[in-house]
Amino acid sequence: MKYLIMCKSLTNAQRAALELTRRGIDASVVKAPQSLRENGCGYAVSLYRRLDEAAVILRDARVLTGRIYRRADDGSYREVEDRDLSR
Amino acid sequence: MIYLDNAATSLIKPAAVGREMLRAMQCCASPGRGGHSAAMRASELVYRCREKAAALFHVPESENVVFTMNATHGLNVAINSLVSKGTRVLISGYEHNAVTRPLKKAGAEILVARSPLFDQASCLRAFREQIGRAQLLVCTMVSNVFGFILPVREIAALCRENGVPLIVDASQAAGTLDVDFEALGAAFLAMPGHKGLFGPQGTGLLLCRKKGTPLLAGGSGSDSILQEMPDYLPDRHEAGTQNVPGIAGLLAGMEYVEQKTPRAILEEEHALLRLTGESLAEDERIELFRGPDGTQSGVLSFRIRGMDCDEAAGLLSERGVCLRSGLHCAPLAHRSAGTLDTGTLRLSLSPFVSREEIRAFCGMLRELLDGLR
Repeated sequence: MKYLIMCKSLTNAQRAALELTRRGIDASVVKAPQSLRENGCGYAVSLYRRLDEAAVILRDARVLTGRIYRRADDGSYREVEDRDLSR
Repeated sequence: MIYLDNAATSLIKPAAVGREMLRAMQCCASPGRGGHSAAMRASELVYRCREKAAALFHVPESENVVFTMNATHGLNVAINSLVSKGTRVLISGYEHNAVTRPLKKAGAEILVARSPLFDQASCLRAFREQIGRAQLLVCTMVSNVFGFILPVREIAALCRENGVPLIVDASQAAGTLDVDFEALGAAFLAMPGHKGLFGPQGTGLLLCRKKGTPLLAGGSGSDSILQEMPDYLPDRHEAGTQNVPGIAGLLAGMEYVEQKTPRAILEEEHALLRLTGESLAEDERIELFRGPDGTQSGVLSFRIRGMDCDEAAGLLSERGVCLRSGLHCAPLAHRSAGTLDTGTLRLSLSPFVSREEIRAFCGMLRELLDGLR
Protein backbone atom coordinates (compact mmCIF):
# COMPACT_ATOMS: atom_id res chain seq x y z
CA MET A 1 0.00 0.00 0.00
CA LYS A 2 1.38 3.35 -0.98
CA TYR A 3 1.01 6.30 1.35
CA LEU A 4 1.70 9.97 0.75
CA ILE A 5 2.45 12.36 3.56
CA MET A 6 1.87 15.86 2.27
CA CYS A 7 4.47 18.48 3.11
CA LYS A 8 4.33 22.25 3.02
CA SER A 9 7.62 22.57 1.11
CA LEU A 10 10.24 20.53 -0.68
CA THR A 11 12.71 21.20 2.13
CA ASN A 12 10.13 20.08 4.65
CA ALA A 13 9.55 16.88 2.68
CA GLN A 14 13.29 16.25 2.47
CA ARG A 15 13.65 16.69 6.20
CA ALA A 16 10.74 14.32 6.83
CA ALA A 17 12.17 11.67 4.49
CA LEU A 18 15.58 11.97 6.13
CA GLU A 19 14.10 11.53 9.62
CA LEU A 20 12.32 8.37 8.47
CA THR A 21 15.23 6.81 6.60
CA ARG A 22 17.52 7.49 9.56
CA ARG A 23 15.13 5.33 11.58
CA GLY A 24 15.04 2.56 9.02
CA ILE A 25 11.80 3.41 7.25
CA ASP A 26 12.05 3.49 3.47
CA ALA A 27 10.72 6.86 2.40
CA SER A 28 11.29 9.07 -0.59
CA VAL A 29 10.39 12.55 -1.71
CA VAL A 30 7.97 12.72 -4.63
CA LYS A 31 6.07 15.43 -6.40
CA ALA A 32 2.59 15.50 -4.91
CA PRO A 33 -0.32 14.82 -7.29
CA GLN A 34 -2.09 18.05 -8.23
CA SER A 35 -5.40 16.54 -7.16
CA LEU A 36 -4.17 16.47 -3.57
CA ARG A 37 -2.79 20.00 -3.47
CA GLU A 38 -5.08 22.89 -2.69
CA ASN A 39 -2.58 25.51 -3.83
CA GLY A 40 -0.84 23.90 -6.76
CA CYS A 41 2.59 22.31 -6.88
CA GLY A 42 4.19 20.73 -3.87
CA TYR A 43 5.99 17.69 -2.55
CA ALA A 44 5.17 14.71 -0.40
CA VAL A 45 6.91 11.83 1.32
CA SER A 46 6.07 8.47 -0.13
CA LEU A 47 6.24 5.20 1.82
CA TYR A 48 4.77 1.74 1.54
CA ARG A 49 4.70 0.47 5.08
CA ARG A 50 5.05 1.37 8.74
CA LEU A 51 2.85 4.45 8.39
CA ASP A 52 1.83 4.46 12.06
CA GLU A 53 5.45 4.41 13.13
CA ALA A 54 6.35 7.11 10.60
CA ALA A 55 3.64 9.42 11.88
CA VAL A 56 4.95 9.09 15.42
CA ILE A 57 8.56 9.67 14.33
CA LEU A 58 7.65 12.83 12.45
CA ARG A 59 5.53 14.13 15.30
CA ASP A 60 8.30 13.48 17.82
CA ALA A 61 10.87 15.12 15.54
CA ARG A 62 8.51 18.08 15.23
CA VAL A 63 8.49 17.91 11.46
CA LEU A 64 5.28 19.59 10.41
CA THR A 65 3.43 17.61 7.81
CA GLY A 66 0.01 17.86 6.25
CA ARG A 67 -2.63 15.35 5.36
CA ILE A 68 -1.84 11.69 4.73
CA TYR A 69 -3.30 9.78 1.80
CA ARG A 70 -3.51 6.11 0.90
CA ARG A 71 -3.43 5.16 -2.76
CA ALA A 72 -6.13 2.64 -3.71
CA ASP A 73 -5.70 -0.02 -6.39
CA ASP A 74 -7.70 2.09 -8.84
CA GLY A 75 -5.22 4.93 -8.48
CA SER A 76 -7.45 7.14 -6.39
CA TYR A 77 -6.34 8.61 -3.07
CA ARG A 78 -8.21 8.48 0.18
CA GLU A 79 -7.27 10.52 3.20
CA VAL A 80 -6.02 8.61 6.20
CA GLU A 81 -7.75 10.11 9.20
CA ASP A 82 -5.94 10.62 12.44
CA ARG A 83 -8.17 8.07 14.09
CA ASP A 84 -7.09 5.45 11.54
CA LEU A 85 -3.55 5.63 12.80
CA SER A 86 -2.92 3.28 15.70
CA ARG A 87 -1.02 5.66 17.98
CA MET B 1 50.77 35.37 -8.84
CA ILE B 2 50.58 35.94 -5.09
CA TYR B 3 46.92 36.18 -4.20
CA LEU B 4 46.23 38.19 -1.04
CA ASP B 5 42.68 39.39 -1.64
CA ASN B 6 40.75 36.64 0.08
CA ALA B 7 38.50 39.06 1.98
CA ALA B 8 37.00 39.97 -1.39
CA THR B 9 36.94 36.48 -2.89
CA SER B 10 38.91 33.37 -2.02
CA LEU B 11 40.26 32.73 -5.48
CA ILE B 12 42.20 29.58 -4.66
CA LYS B 13 39.65 26.93 -3.68
CA PRO B 14 39.80 23.32 -2.58
CA ALA B 15 39.94 21.14 -5.71
CA ALA B 16 36.58 19.56 -4.89
CA VAL B 17 34.77 22.89 -5.38
CA GLY B 18 35.31 23.09 -9.13
CA ARG B 19 34.86 19.35 -9.53
CA GLU B 20 31.48 19.34 -7.78
CA MET B 21 30.32 22.40 -9.72
CA LEU B 22 31.07 20.70 -13.01
CA ARG B 23 29.34 17.54 -11.87
CA ALA B 24 26.25 19.52 -10.88
CA MET B 25 26.17 21.29 -14.23
CA GLN B 26 26.22 17.95 -15.98
CA CYS B 27 23.82 16.02 -13.73
CA CYS B 28 21.44 18.36 -12.00
CA ALA B 29 18.29 19.97 -13.39
CA SER B 30 16.01 22.46 -11.60
CA PRO B 31 15.51 21.68 -7.93
CA GLY B 32 12.02 21.86 -6.48
CA ARG B 33 10.31 21.89 -9.82
CA GLY B 34 10.01 18.51 -11.53
CA GLY B 35 9.86 15.09 -9.96
CA HIS B 36 12.20 13.34 -12.42
CA SER B 37 15.57 11.95 -11.47
CA ALA B 38 17.68 14.90 -12.65
CA ALA B 39 15.45 17.33 -10.77
CA MET B 40 15.46 15.20 -7.64
CA ARG B 41 19.26 14.90 -7.80
CA ALA B 42 19.41 18.67 -7.79
CA SER B 43 16.94 18.85 -4.90
CA GLU B 44 18.97 16.38 -2.88
CA LEU B 45 22.15 18.33 -3.48
CA VAL B 46 20.51 21.59 -2.42
CA TYR B 47 19.14 19.92 0.70
CA ARG B 48 22.55 18.46 1.61
CA CYS B 49 24.04 21.92 1.39
CA ARG B 50 21.25 23.34 3.54
CA GLU B 51 21.82 20.65 6.15
CA LYS B 52 25.57 21.25 6.10
CA ALA B 53 25.07 24.97 6.65
CA ALA B 54 22.58 24.33 9.44
CA ALA B 55 25.09 22.07 11.19
CA LEU B 56 28.06 24.39 10.68
CA PHE B 57 26.26 27.50 11.90
CA HIS B 58 24.03 25.95 14.56
CA VAL B 59 20.65 26.52 12.94
CA PRO B 60 18.12 24.18 14.59
CA GLU B 61 16.13 23.55 11.41
CA SER B 62 17.54 23.52 7.90
CA GLU B 63 14.36 25.21 6.58
CA ASN B 64 15.73 28.39 8.13
CA VAL B 65 18.75 28.37 5.84
CA VAL B 66 18.04 30.45 2.71
CA PHE B 67 20.31 30.52 -0.34
CA THR B 68 21.18 33.97 -1.61
CA MET B 69 23.44 35.44 -4.30
CA ASN B 70 25.87 36.89 -1.75
CA ALA B 71 25.88 38.52 1.69
CA THR B 72 24.62 41.82 0.26
CA HIS B 73 21.54 40.05 -1.05
CA GLY B 74 20.92 38.47 2.35
CA LEU B 75 21.42 41.76 4.20
CA ASN B 76 18.97 43.45 1.84
CA VAL B 77 16.35 40.79 2.60
CA ALA B 78 16.96 41.17 6.33
CA ILE B 79 16.92 44.97 6.34
CA ASN B 80 13.94 45.12 4.00
CA SER B 81 12.10 42.82 6.44
CA LEU B 82 12.75 44.83 9.59
CA VAL B 83 13.25 48.45 8.57
CA SER B 84 10.77 51.02 7.38
CA LYS B 85 11.00 54.79 7.13
CA GLY B 86 12.07 56.25 10.44
CA THR B 87 13.14 52.97 12.10
CA ARG B 88 16.01 53.79 14.47
CA VAL B 89 18.83 51.40 13.68
CA LEU B 90 22.02 51.19 15.73
CA ILE B 91 25.10 50.02 13.82
CA SER B 92 28.80 49.69 14.55
CA GLY B 93 31.31 52.15 13.19
CA TYR B 94 32.73 49.39 10.99
CA GLU B 95 29.81 48.51 8.74
CA HIS B 96 30.11 47.88 5.03
CA ASN B 97 28.02 49.69 2.42
CA ALA B 98 26.07 46.42 2.14
CA VAL B 99 24.53 47.49 5.45
CA THR B 100 24.54 51.27 5.30
CA ARG B 101 23.17 51.68 1.77
CA PRO B 102 20.11 49.42 2.27
CA LEU B 103 19.44 51.21 5.57
CA LYS B 104 19.62 54.56 3.84
CA LYS B 105 17.37 53.28 1.03
CA ALA B 106 14.79 52.05 3.55
CA GLY B 107 14.73 55.47 5.22
CA ALA B 108 16.19 54.32 8.54
CA GLU B 109 17.39 56.74 11.15
CA ILE B 110 20.93 55.49 11.59
CA LEU B 111 22.69 55.69 14.95
CA VAL B 112 26.39 54.80 14.95
CA ALA B 113 28.10 53.20 17.95
CA ARG B 114 31.51 54.72 17.29
CA SER B 115 34.59 53.20 18.87
CA PRO B 116 38.35 53.14 18.27
CA LEU B 117 39.88 50.43 16.12
CA PHE B 118 40.62 47.10 17.84
CA ASP B 119 39.01 48.27 21.11
CA GLN B 120 36.33 45.70 21.84
CA ALA B 121 35.48 47.11 25.29
CA SER B 122 34.85 50.59 23.86
CA CYS B 123 32.81 49.08 21.07
CA LEU B 124 30.53 47.27 23.51
CA ARG B 125 30.29 50.40 25.67
CA ALA B 126 29.24 52.45 22.66
CA PHE B 127 26.46 49.98 21.88
CA ARG B 128 25.34 49.90 25.51
CA GLU B 129 25.11 53.68 25.64
CA GLN B 130 22.79 53.91 22.66
CA ILE B 131 20.78 50.70 22.62
CA GLY B 132 17.96 52.32 24.59
CA ARG B 133 17.17 54.44 21.54
CA ALA B 134 17.39 51.61 19.00
CA GLN B 135 14.59 49.59 17.42
CA LEU B 136 17.04 47.36 15.56
CA LEU B 137 20.77 46.66 15.73
CA VAL B 138 22.93 45.64 12.77
CA CYS B 139 26.51 44.59 13.36
CA THR B 140 29.33 43.01 11.43
CA MET B 141 31.33 40.28 13.16
CA VAL B 142 34.60 41.38 11.56
CA SER B 143 35.55 44.62 9.80
CA ASN B 144 36.29 43.88 6.16
CA VAL B 145 38.88 46.68 6.10
CA PHE B 146 40.88 46.06 9.27
CA GLY B 147 39.97 42.54 10.36
CA PHE B 148 38.78 44.01 13.66
CA ILE B 149 36.78 41.30 15.46
CA LEU B 150 33.79 42.99 17.07
CA PRO B 151 32.41 41.57 20.34
CA VAL B 152 29.27 40.28 18.64
CA ARG B 153 28.47 37.66 21.26
CA GLU B 154 28.28 40.36 23.94
CA ILE B 155 26.43 42.72 21.60
CA ALA B 156 23.90 39.95 20.91
CA ALA B 157 23.41 39.46 24.66
CA LEU B 158 22.80 43.20 24.97
CA CYS B 159 20.15 42.94 22.25
CA ARG B 160 18.42 40.07 24.01
CA GLU B 161 18.44 41.94 27.34
CA ASN B 162 16.87 44.98 25.69
CA GLY B 163 14.48 43.17 23.37
CA VAL B 164 16.11 44.67 20.28
CA PRO B 165 16.25 42.46 17.16
CA LEU B 166 19.69 41.87 15.70
CA ILE B 167 20.97 41.42 12.14
CA VAL B 168 24.50 40.03 11.91
CA ASP B 169 26.82 40.44 8.95
CA ALA B 170 29.15 37.43 9.06
CA SER B 171 30.82 38.17 5.72
CA GLN B 172 34.34 38.11 7.09
CA ALA B 173 33.68 35.66 9.91
CA ALA B 174 32.12 32.61 8.25
CA GLY B 175 34.82 30.01 7.88
CA THR B 176 37.21 31.42 10.47
CA LEU B 177 35.19 32.29 13.58
CA ASP B 178 32.56 30.34 15.46
CA VAL B 179 29.28 31.54 13.97
CA ASP B 180 26.58 30.22 16.30
CA PHE B 181 23.21 31.44 15.06
CA GLU B 182 21.26 29.77 17.86
CA ALA B 183 23.44 31.22 20.62
CA LEU B 184 23.42 34.72 19.13
CA GLY B 185 19.62 34.73 18.90
CA ALA B 186 19.83 36.99 15.84
CA ALA B 187 16.76 37.66 13.71
CA PHE B 188 18.89 37.24 10.58
CA LEU B 189 22.52 36.40 9.85
CA ALA B 190 23.97 36.88 6.37
CA MET B 191 27.17 35.56 4.83
CA PRO B 192 28.69 35.13 1.38
CA GLY B 193 29.65 31.75 -0.01
CA HIS B 194 32.65 32.99 -1.97
CA LYS B 195 34.97 34.16 0.79
CA GLY B 196 35.83 32.04 3.83
CA LEU B 197 33.50 29.21 2.84
CA PHE B 198 35.39 28.71 -0.45
CA GLY B 199 32.26 28.49 -2.58
CA PRO B 200 32.02 30.19 -5.96
CA GLN B 201 30.90 33.76 -6.53
CA GLY B 202 27.14 34.14 -6.73
CA THR B 203 26.48 32.10 -3.59
CA GLY B 204 25.51 33.16 -0.10
CA LEU B 205 23.45 32.16 2.92
CA LEU B 206 20.84 33.94 4.98
CA LEU B 207 20.01 32.31 8.30
CA CYS B 208 16.53 33.32 9.38
CA ARG B 209 14.75 33.29 12.72
CA LYS B 210 11.88 35.32 11.27
CA LYS B 211 9.98 34.71 8.05
CA GLY B 212 10.72 38.22 6.80
CA THR B 213 9.52 40.04 3.72
CA PRO B 214 10.53 38.67 0.31
CA LEU B 215 12.75 40.90 -1.77
CA LEU B 216 11.97 38.98 -4.95
CA ALA B 217 8.75 37.32 -6.04
CA GLY B 218 8.38 34.56 -8.57
CA GLY B 219 8.26 30.83 -9.02
CA SER B 220 9.22 28.75 -6.02
CA GLY B 221 7.93 25.37 -7.15
CA SER B 222 5.47 25.42 -4.27
CA ASP B 223 1.85 26.57 -3.78
CA SER B 224 1.81 27.72 -7.41
CA ILE B 225 -1.83 28.77 -7.44
CA LEU B 226 -1.24 31.40 -4.78
CA GLN B 227 -0.10 34.74 -6.15
CA GLU B 228 1.88 35.67 -3.06
CA MET B 229 5.18 34.11 -2.10
CA PRO B 230 4.75 31.12 0.26
CA ASP B 231 4.57 32.11 3.90
CA TYR B 232 7.14 29.52 4.94
CA LEU B 233 10.91 29.23 4.76
CA PRO B 234 13.01 28.75 2.74
CA ASP B 235 10.61 29.05 -0.24
CA ARG B 236 9.57 32.54 0.85
CA HIS B 237 12.95 33.96 -0.12
CA GLU B 238 13.98 31.64 -2.93
CA ALA B 239 12.15 32.87 -6.02
CA GLY B 240 13.46 31.56 -9.33
CA THR B 241 15.75 28.67 -10.17
CA GLN B 242 18.61 28.30 -7.76
CA ASN B 243 22.31 28.41 -8.59
CA VAL B 244 22.73 24.64 -8.31
CA PRO B 245 26.35 24.44 -9.55
CA GLY B 246 27.15 27.25 -7.14
CA ILE B 247 25.46 25.44 -4.29
CA ALA B 248 27.40 22.27 -5.18
CA GLY B 249 30.63 24.28 -4.96
CA LEU B 250 29.54 25.89 -1.72
CA LEU B 251 28.82 22.48 -0.22
CA ALA B 252 32.29 21.27 -1.16
CA GLY B 253 33.78 24.45 0.29
CA MET B 254 31.88 24.03 3.56
CA GLU B 255 32.96 20.41 3.78
CA TYR B 256 36.56 21.62 3.53
CA VAL B 257 35.97 24.20 6.29
CA GLU B 258 34.22 21.63 8.48
CA GLN B 259 37.02 19.12 8.05
CA LYS B 260 39.79 21.62 8.67
CA THR B 261 37.77 23.54 11.30
CA PRO B 262 37.40 27.34 11.42
CA ARG B 263 39.69 27.49 14.44
CA ALA B 264 42.56 25.81 12.58
CA ILE B 265 42.00 28.05 9.56
CA LEU B 266 42.13 31.16 11.73
CA GLU B 267 45.29 29.90 13.44
CA GLU B 268 46.96 29.44 10.05
CA GLU B 269 45.93 32.90 8.99
CA HIS B 270 47.19 34.35 12.29
CA ALA B 271 50.56 32.69 11.75
CA LEU B 272 50.79 34.33 8.31
CA LEU B 273 49.65 37.65 9.76
CA ARG B 274 52.39 37.48 12.42
CA LEU B 275 54.95 36.69 9.75
CA THR B 276 53.83 39.70 7.71
CA GLY B 277 53.82 41.92 10.76
CA GLU B 278 57.28 40.81 11.89
CA SER B 279 58.66 41.36 8.43
CA LEU B 280 57.18 44.83 7.87
CA ALA B 281 56.89 46.28 11.37
CA GLU B 282 60.45 47.62 11.44
CA ASP B 283 60.01 49.56 8.22
CA GLU B 284 59.13 53.15 9.08
CA ARG B 285 57.74 53.75 5.61
CA ILE B 286 54.90 51.35 6.29
CA GLU B 287 52.06 51.94 8.74
CA LEU B 288 50.45 48.67 9.78
CA PHE B 289 47.04 48.48 11.44
CA ARG B 290 47.58 45.65 13.92
CA GLY B 291 45.36 44.77 16.85
CA PRO B 292 46.08 43.02 20.14
CA ASP B 293 45.69 39.23 20.29
CA GLY B 294 42.11 38.12 19.81
CA THR B 295 40.95 41.32 18.11
CA GLN B 296 42.06 40.73 14.52
CA SER B 297 41.20 38.14 11.89
CA GLY B 298 43.39 37.29 8.89
CA VAL B 299 42.95 40.73 7.36
CA LEU B 300 45.62 43.43 7.56
CA SER B 301 45.34 47.02 6.35
CA PHE B 302 48.39 49.19 5.88
CA ARG B 303 49.47 52.50 4.38
CA ILE B 304 52.72 53.57 2.80
CA ARG B 305 53.85 56.98 3.95
CA GLY B 306 53.85 59.47 1.11
CA MET B 307 52.35 57.09 -1.42
CA ASP B 308 48.80 56.72 -2.70
CA CYS B 309 47.39 53.31 -1.84
CA ASP B 310 45.90 52.70 -5.27
CA GLU B 311 49.20 53.57 -6.96
CA ALA B 312 51.03 51.22 -4.62
CA ALA B 313 48.55 48.43 -5.34
CA GLY B 314 49.04 49.05 -9.06
CA LEU B 315 52.80 48.72 -8.76
CA LEU B 316 52.45 45.56 -6.71
CA SER B 317 50.02 44.17 -9.26
CA GLU B 318 52.68 44.65 -11.95
CA ARG B 319 54.87 42.40 -9.82
CA GLY B 320 52.17 39.73 -9.55
CA VAL B 321 50.76 40.63 -6.13
CA CYS B 322 46.96 40.78 -5.85
CA LEU B 323 45.73 42.88 -2.96
CA ARG B 324 43.04 45.48 -2.60
CA SER B 325 43.35 49.21 -2.16
CA GLY B 326 41.00 52.10 -1.50
CA LEU B 327 38.00 52.31 0.79
CA HIS B 328 36.91 48.68 0.40
CA CYS B 329 33.22 49.73 0.15
CA ALA B 330 33.33 50.68 3.83
CA PRO B 331 33.76 54.45 4.22
CA LEU B 332 32.29 54.29 7.71
CA ALA B 333 35.07 51.97 8.87
CA HIS B 334 37.66 54.37 7.51
CA ARG B 335 35.97 57.28 9.22
CA SER B 336 36.13 55.36 12.50
CA ALA B 337 39.80 54.53 12.04
CA GLY B 338 40.84 57.93 10.68
CA THR B 339 41.84 56.65 7.22
CA LEU B 340 39.00 58.07 5.14
CA ASP B 341 41.22 60.58 3.37
CA THR B 342 43.79 58.02 2.21
CA GLY B 343 42.14 54.62 2.17
CA THR B 344 44.37 51.64 2.84
CA LEU B 345 46.05 48.73 1.18
CA ARG B 346 44.59 45.49 2.46
CA LEU B 347 45.99 42.02 2.40
CA SER B 348 43.73 39.17 3.39
CA LEU B 349 44.82 35.61 3.99
CA SER B 350 43.59 32.08 3.54
CA PRO B 351 44.95 28.59 4.19
CA PHE B 352 46.01 28.55 0.54
CA VAL B 353 48.58 31.30 1.09
CA SER B 354 52.05 29.97 1.89
CA ARG B 355 54.76 31.41 4.14
CA GLU B 356 57.00 31.62 1.08
CA GLU B 357 54.45 33.81 -0.67
CA ILE B 358 54.28 36.12 2.35
CA ARG B 359 58.08 36.38 2.46
CA ALA B 360 58.16 37.07 -1.29
CA PHE B 361 55.46 39.74 -0.97
CA CYS B 362 57.25 41.48 1.91
CA GLY B 363 60.51 41.41 -0.06
CA MET B 364 58.79 42.85 -3.15
CA LEU B 365 57.18 45.61 -1.12
CA ARG B 366 60.51 46.63 0.42
CA GLU B 367 62.21 46.53 -2.98
CA LEU B 368 59.45 48.66 -4.43
CA LEU B 369 59.86 51.25 -1.70
CA ASP B 370 63.67 51.19 -2.01
CA GLY B 371 63.34 51.86 -5.73
CA LEU B 372 61.22 54.92 -5.09
CA ARG B 373 63.82 56.66 -2.93
